[in-house]
Amino acid sequence: MANRPSYPGTPRWVKVFGIIVIVVVLLVVAMMLIGSGEHGPGRHAMSGGAGGQAPPSTGMADYAPPEGGRG
Amino acid sequence: MIMTPRLRKFALAAHLTCSVGWIGAVAGYIALDVAAATSQDAQTLRTAYLAMELIARYVIVPLALASLLSGLLMSLGTKWGLFRHYWVLISLLLTIIVTLVLLVETQTIGYFADMAADPTTSGDDLRALGSTLVHSVGGTVVLLVILALNVYKPRGMTRYGWRKQQKERKVSQP
Repeated sequence: MANRPSYPGTPRWVKVFGIIVIVVVLLVVAMMLIGSGEHGPGRHAMSGGAGGQAPPSTGMADYAPPEGGRG
Repeated sequence: MIMTPRLRKFALAAHLTCSVGWIGAVAGYIALDVAAATSQDAQTLRTAYLAMELIARYVIVPLALASLLSGLLMSLGTKWGLFRHYWVLISLLLTIIVTLVLLVETQTIGYFADMAADPTTSGDDLRALGSTLVHSVGGTVVLLVILALNVYKPRGMTRYGWRKQQKERKVSQP
């Protein structure tokens, strides 16, 4: 009776890819923490927000910026 | 269920059109995004934000969803399967992540466009909005990675795929 073949294992390129993804995710998290955690359009719209944007001069209070990402 | 060769070719053509079209649409979007990031001219900023929203909402999002759907059909309807090969699985996960980030980002872009469409918004306010360059460029990089995975199809089966293959071999060679 022939031996049952065993799983050859995860390929090296998948392991390298996984490490790159983990490093990129950690970098993004670190950048978000350094940027005082602000991550959304409110960062731009509100006066004195993170990033030192100039205070808006008109009508900005009428807008409720959505939660979520921004580049 | 495995698709017939004719249906498979049609599905492949649709998937390629959506996926490559998605990358092309994002390239056009980035041109506007760069203008939004660098321009000091209020009229340019207003135009860029409005065009960014139109491209994102009516071109990029539909292409992204169509690409995801056609990719699922291609995987399930061919020998590749959805969870058998690492390149398929990673492509699927990356596409889902990019699509989710895009859907969230579309809200931000909509907010920028609302601001730009409001005639009372001043040039200073527009300049303070900024851009979505980090997300659009980052998204493009991920899309190019997915493209490379789909073209090169690097070897490597998942444990599930390998077990399935062994079972099929046993059935075909009793």
